[in-house]
Amino acid sequence: MEQILANGLYLGAQYALIALGLTLIFSLMNVLNFAHGQMYVFGGFVTYTVVAQLGLPFIVGLVASALVLAVMGALIEVFLFRPVIRKSKRDESTMLLAAGIAFFLDAVILLLFGEKQRGVPKIVGGVLNWDMRIIMPYDRILIGVLAIALIAGFIALMQYTKAGRAMRALAQDRVAAQLMGVDVDRYSMIGFALGAMLAGLVGGLLVTITGINLGMGGPTSVKAFMMIMIGGAGVISGAIAGGFILGMMESIGLTVLSAYGDITYLAIFASLMVFLAFRPQGLMGKPWG
Amino acid sequence: MLRRTVLKSTALAAAASFGMFGAAFAENPVLKIGFVGVTSGPAAAWGTSNQRSMETRAAWINETGGYDIGGTKYDIEIVSFDDQKDPKRAIAGMEQMAQAGIHYVVGPNVDDGAAAVRPVAEQNGIIYFPYAFPKELYTAPASNAVLGMVANYQSGPAIYKYLMENNGVKKVAFVAANESDPLSQRDSGSAAAKALGLEIVSDTVTYQVDTTDFTPVLLPIIQTAPDLLVLSGVSPANAPQLIRSARELGFTGLISTETAQDAAVLQEGAGELANGFISVGGASTAELASDQMKEFVDRYTKMFGEYNDESNTKVYALEYILATIAANPAGMTDVEAFKATMDTFEAPNPYMKGDAKLKYVGTTSFGQKRQVSVPLVVNTFNNGAFETLFVAQVD
Amino acid sequence: MSKAVLGVAAFLLFVFVVVPLLIAATGRWDLYYTLTSVALLSIGSMGVWLTFYIGRINIGQGAYALMGGYVSAVLMTKAGFSFWATLPLAGIFCAVISVAIGLPILRLRGVYFAMVTLVLTEVTRLTALALPVTNGAKGITSIPLPGGLSVFGIPLIPDFATLENPKLAFYLLAVTLMVLSFAALWRIVNSRLGHLCRSLQQNEELASSIGVNTAYLRVLAYAISSFFGGLAGAVFVAISQSIYPSSFVVNDSVNFMLYCFVGGLGFVSGPMVGTFLLYFGWDLLSIAKEYQLLIYSSAMIAMMLVLPNGILSLLDRKGGKK
Repeated sequence: MEQILANGLYLGAQYALIALGLTLIFSLMNVLNFAHGQMYVFGGFVTYTVVAQLGLPFIVGLVASALVLAVMGALIEVFLFRPVIRKSKRDESTMLLAAGIAFFLDAVILLLFGEKQRGVPKIVGGVLNWDMRIIMPYDRILIGVLAIALIAGFIALMQYTKAGRAMRALAQDRVAAQLMGVDVDRYSMIGFALGAMLAGLVGGLLVTITGINLGMGGPTSVKAFMMIMIGGAGVISGAIAGGFILGMMESIGLTVLSAYGDITYLAIFASLMVFLAFRPQGLMGKPWG
Repeated sequence: MLRRTVLKSTALAAAASFGMFGAAFAENPVLKIGFVGVTSGPAAAWGTSNQRSMETRAAWINETGGYDIGGTKYDIEIVSFDDQKDPKRAIAGMEQMAQAGIHYVVGPNVDDGAAAVRPVAEQNGIIYFPYAFPKELYTAPASNAVLGMVANYQSGPAIYKYLMENNGVKKVAFVAANESDPLSQRDSGSAAAKALGLEIVSDTVTYQVDTTDFTPVLLPIIQTAPDLLVLSGVSPANAPQLIRSARELGFTGLISTETAQDAAVLQEGAGELANGFISVGGASTAELASDQMKEFVDRYTKMFGEYNDESNTKVYALEYILATIAANPAGMTDVEAFKATMDTFEAPNPYMKGDAKLKYVGTTSFGQKRQVSVPLVVNTFNNGAFETLFVAQVD
Repeated sequence: MSKAVLGVAAFLLFVFVVVPLLIAATGRWDLYYTLTSVALLSIGSMGVWLTFYIGRINIGQGAYALMGGYVSAVLMTKAGFSFWATLPLAGIFCAVISVAIGLPILRLRGVYFAMVTLVLTEVTRLTALALPVTNGAKGITSIPLPGGLSVFGIPLIPDFATLENPKLAFYLLAVTLMVLSFAALWRIVNSRLGHLCRSLQQNEELASSIGVNTAYLRVLAYAISSFFGGLAGAVFVAISQSIYPSSFVVNDSVNFMLYCFVGGLGFVSGPMVGTFLLYFGWDLLSIAKEYQLLIYSSAMIAMMLVLPNGILSLLDRKGGKK
């Protein structure tokens, strides 16, 4: 039992971090960023290149991932999303753009980093074994703690800094924020950069444990979509809740349902659909996103 | 005046050399061989190693003057099509091959694609070499597909038997991704293990291919305390993570798979935790590789920057196609002649030391010779490289 | 009006006569399958387009294509049905299922609906893997080609297995279905139902307040949409003579949606144009080898920057038909 909870917590921490970036971008610009998973993969490959190829310390790789993705996010917002949002008749058109960017990043990742699975050596060795009740490798604990620290840092940033307040205002009401003197363009860019940076950081963190390959992008996006649906799209607390809930569901489901074969994920997905039928806005979302 | 002559003669010389160059180039007729498989997107690794093996070998043949078929030297051209792992695209790819007049195609890489292209291949007289295991592709009335590798229902029993006899394995557990190919392989593997008298302690656990933490997946399996954990149809991306999670959970038994793996990927992803991991590979270990195999690896590395050990098993299909056509040049355009030759064809295996043979097998599994005979080389991983555990033959 | 009739006649003439003649003249037989695919995929995207028309982003058409495919395959192999009987049954099955699924989830809007439908595709794949009737992971293979069809002893459609060129037959079948679907869609859009749908797209609360039965309309549109999806899936199964749980996946669902966007959401012919461009574009780019995906995606991004409302919005600018 303890083991299941520990697994769920670890999974939840990494999931929540992935979902945060996605929900931030969604709340600011009403864009469902299909390329979020690809950004995560890109971040992982940057860390891999810095750590495994160049032989630099892990923390350098992590910072490099954050920077590269932040710059990428800012550029994507300024040169792609902004003009398209301005010109298109329907909000949904940005989905095509996001999907195009996802394909584009897939292609770039394949050309730059190749098709193979990559990984970096463990950053700390050893396994915590508490009386056979909880078995958890130390590197996993470290990554889990780092992920939670990053989540806390992100919340602090959103609560206590000027940029954070501006972005929250934007998320609540774009027009009102603009009238109150918030520089919408500037903070949309910062928000997008921040969201992309979070994706890159998760990639950098997880490359030490699960490794990275170019196929992980799409499914990661889908999982992140599910998390923000559970919690409520565009709500920070919702993304965190969604991440931890999905993590727990997987951990518990895989253990309890393992005897029945292939149905764990079917059960998770199906229950999600039923849940949304009853509560369309998720746990904490505004109605109609 | 002089200048003009110089100009003229230079132009003439240039034209002449161009002509000669062209002639030298056109001297060899071109034999086109197709590849339909996945080289982009999530499963890019499967097709890419496949396509690159073919291109490496083709460039090598062309560089050394072409492939001798019936006294004529042919240059080999590889025509590739990326099916994006979509069976509907795979059909389009096969149609394109037919349009280009190609009769021999390597691929597709997965079950659904291999089944979907069957009607097109049969209507257009194309023989194709899928890397997919469903028996109905190779059993009559199907006759145009040739299995390009050793199937898991052939390698699995050999491995289990070896481990029963040498390591005292009694209890086996299976884990597979919830996709067609791995699940089918799990079912046939489990059946084979049962037939050998092994106790199956778990064969219902599955995982999503995008799993980032395998601890919860493996937890219930490890609790059943198997002696051998089989990773059915595991993709090279998932293998290191599964091994690592199992070891970190304290699993001390053996871990094996029936698919080909890459040593570098295992080393990066699992490090020394992967030591002792058993997988099926080609004849590239130092004890078995012939000089030609070593040269192939060199050329591949030069051409694409990095070798992929999965190519050890994927080097063979093109070699079989060419050697069989050479044995009966009529087969170049007539697949029925090719099929007839398959029954008797035999040639030395250039990639392996010793007197191994290239020939078609499969009578036991499919009732007809619709499988290339590649040595069933079972490897163990040890500190970043594969070592040969044992070698067997499939009939 | 007469201009429109002429246009339709020209289009029919082109797809039924000119294309086969051109292919016979040039010998590009492989184009038949490509065009067949385009026709079938555009039927699926027409369904997606209709859900866009009521203001819902549908990324779940792959689910219905897969269901339709399985219905057709199971009926043919296990119950001995003729392909021609399974074709409408596949569509109807999908429509019925979509009513059951649609009743709760159509209450969702915007990205919520989009994401639920995305998950639906995965649910369908996992269901197909788990159910015994679908033969699970092993798929259903060796499905017979469509047989002959005769009404009162008069042969209408010959047995595909006896044909010298089943490619042409499949092409004609797919194009016929596409034309019929298009006609149906056009009829819907230009009827009272279409006007009501447009009112949903603009403002559901308002529509509902003036007495439009929004729930009924939504489910009806979604059922029609899913019918199209099932139809497309069933024909694909007949062509590949096999079906696996992975025959239609999340990527297909996303593609169906993209086809609509590329063509233009404001045009009934948008899905056809979009499917044609994206599908053919990918095929043409195969000469770029490893840069294929890079160029394809760059072109898609560039198109969004220049024409964010779809290719057909070009017509709008010139002041052409709406």
